Amino acid sequence: MTIQNKSFEIFCGTGGVGKTTLATSRALNLASKGSRVLLVTIDPAKRLKDLLGLTGDFEGEVTTVEINKIKLDALLMSPEKTIQRMALSNKTPDLASNRIVKILSKPYGGMNEILSLVEVQMQFESGKYDVIVLDTPPGAHFLDFLEGINKIKSFFDQSFVEIFSFIGTKTATAGKKMFGVGLINKVISGGMKKLLSYLQRVTDAKFIDDFIQAVQIIYQSRDAFLKGLNLQDRLKSRSECNWFLVTSVEQGKAQEAIEMKAHAAHFIHHDHFLVLNKCLEKEMNEWNPSDSKLLAIKNSLEGREKELKKNLKANFPIVLEFPEIMSRDPLEHVNDLTKSWNNYGT
Amino acid sequence: MATNLRRLYIFTGKGGVGKSTLSKAFVRYLVNNGSDAAYLTFKNQSLSETHHDLTSEFVGNGIKEIYLDLEDAAKGYIERRLNSKMISGWIVKTPFFRALVNMVPGFNYLIYLGKILELGKENPNLIIVLDAPASGHALTMVESTTNFQQIFESGVIFEDTHKMLSRLNDPSYTKINVVSLPSQMSWQEAVELKAGLKQRTPVEVDITVNNCLYPLLEQNLLDLPPGLKEKILNEKALLEEYKDQMQCVLPHSLLSHSKDIEMDLVGSLSKLI
Repeated sequence: MTIQNKSFEIFCGTGGVGKTTLATSRALNLASKGSRVLLVTIDPAKRLKDLLGLTGDFEGEVTTVEINKIKLDALLMSPEKTIQRMALSNKTPDLASNRIVKILSKPYGGMNEILSLVEVQMQFESGKYDVIVLDTPPGAHFLDFLEGINKIKSFFDQSFVEIFSFIGTKTATAGKKMFGVGLINKVISGGMKKLLSYLQRVTDAKFIDDFIQAVQIIYQSRDAFLKGLNLQDRLKSRSECNWFLVTSVEQGKAQEAIEMKAHAAHFIHHDHFLVLNKCLEKEMNEWNPSDSKLLAIKNSLEGREKELKKNLKANFPIVLEFPEIMSRDPLEHVNDLTKSWNNYGT
Repeated sequence: MATNLRRLYIFTGKGGVGKSTLSKAFVRYLVNNGSDAAYLTFKNQSLSETHHDLTSEFVGNGIKEIYLDLEDAAKGYIERRLNSKMISGWIVKTPFFRALVNMVPGFNYLIYLGKILELGKENPNLIIVLDAPASGHALTMVESTTNFQQIFESGVIFEDTHKMLSRLNDPSYTKINVVSLPSQMSWQEAVELKAGLKQRTPVEVDITVNNCLYPLLEQNLLDLPPGLKEKILNEKALLEEYKDQMQCVLPHSLLSHSKDIEMDLVGSLSKLI
């Protein structure tokens, strides 16, 4: 079993399965073989952040790290920094200073997923990397992350024409410049006007002004947002992306992995791998308890793992197994897993 | 039953730590002790373009379960505020509204939390046990009311979020339980999550450690294979080192069906009150 080299590798799965640690070990394994690697992570635990040196000022900046003499670039997503980079490269400074955009791009303001798509595309375009390893947010939210691309598109497709048709002469002029006179004339303005008048009943005039300003600013930066769309095609392409769906024996939830795959069916092509982390098989094989209570525990652990593997193998073309690392040191986890990837390497 | 019961118990933590099983077991515990309690979770995180599930409410395996739908919750709120079913139905169907809600996930949580507090108001005896989104999203959820208060500054929505915030931040109304597994990584993440939550809300936040093997194997350490022994010793060291910060330590259940595991846990949950 050999995994082919691609431009993108995506790790997704429910939280707590060791997804970030696995993605890190994969990035290190690829880097150790001479690839120029960027590891992008969204919400790592602090110890992993420390290990990667991504704390403090380095948050949100591409940082070169060295672990056991292997060098790679790592980036911990910070929505605020991505917005700043977008403002800079698009020459739209208002994007980084608008009040509403600022609140929404706080670390937990909720824009993390969409902005990480934009960020990954920007990094890819830099041409600096052979492969970008992407660690997605946990759980069902990774689907939101994938859908992020469509959300961006529907926001720009459907909303702006409506809003510009409403916002009065000043902006309508700007709107005409953006859309061309023909299009703007065709727009029926009734809907948006009605919507904002309802909104005004429950907020106030100042909010409506701020809101319209935020929408205008975001619109001016639409090219940068829509770049995320290019990424969609790459991620769907068999020649450009490897997908890793991660689950762990500890969780024992084959069903979740299967549902995840079904939900993401239109994104995930045939080159995907189910990664089963924290396998106890080796330990269990070496254990022959004589005590009946211990035997019950062994049977419970072993039974769950066997059942899980059977289930997964029936539903996924390729299952990659990784052992549970019995250590309290995250560096040891990463090192052991980095070696384990050689079982599936070129 | 104890008088210091809260009205809203939020269970969060990394995925796969047993939030759903534990939330349901806790509902069972409350019901067994004479309270009116319901399990509640969010059905979806965005407004789907293709289909629209309704909020569903049923009694499953003897406990009340509520699965909230985002579109239903949004429609209900707008209807109450504008006094019109027709207008609210129209607003949630406008592409602009849908695109906006989907672009800004914090908005979803605001809608959901509003609905939960509304349910609590309608039914003054009901205790809601919320099976909440995992870690980072829990922070987004808890932060959403504050963020939207800053965004709106004044007006009806501002006043509503203000009311929501004072409820959610009332230690006698809300309690948060962070669920962790007995591994170093999982524990560190739970501690970070707790710290993050404490920065955002004054309510009580406690950590429960789930699925522990150590207590079961305590007597038999010498009989274990080396790898497993190390795992158990790591668990033991963790459980001893941070004992004071763990509100509740739950053993690994030897049963295999989720309902049986829930039943198995019920007896150990009094500390979560």
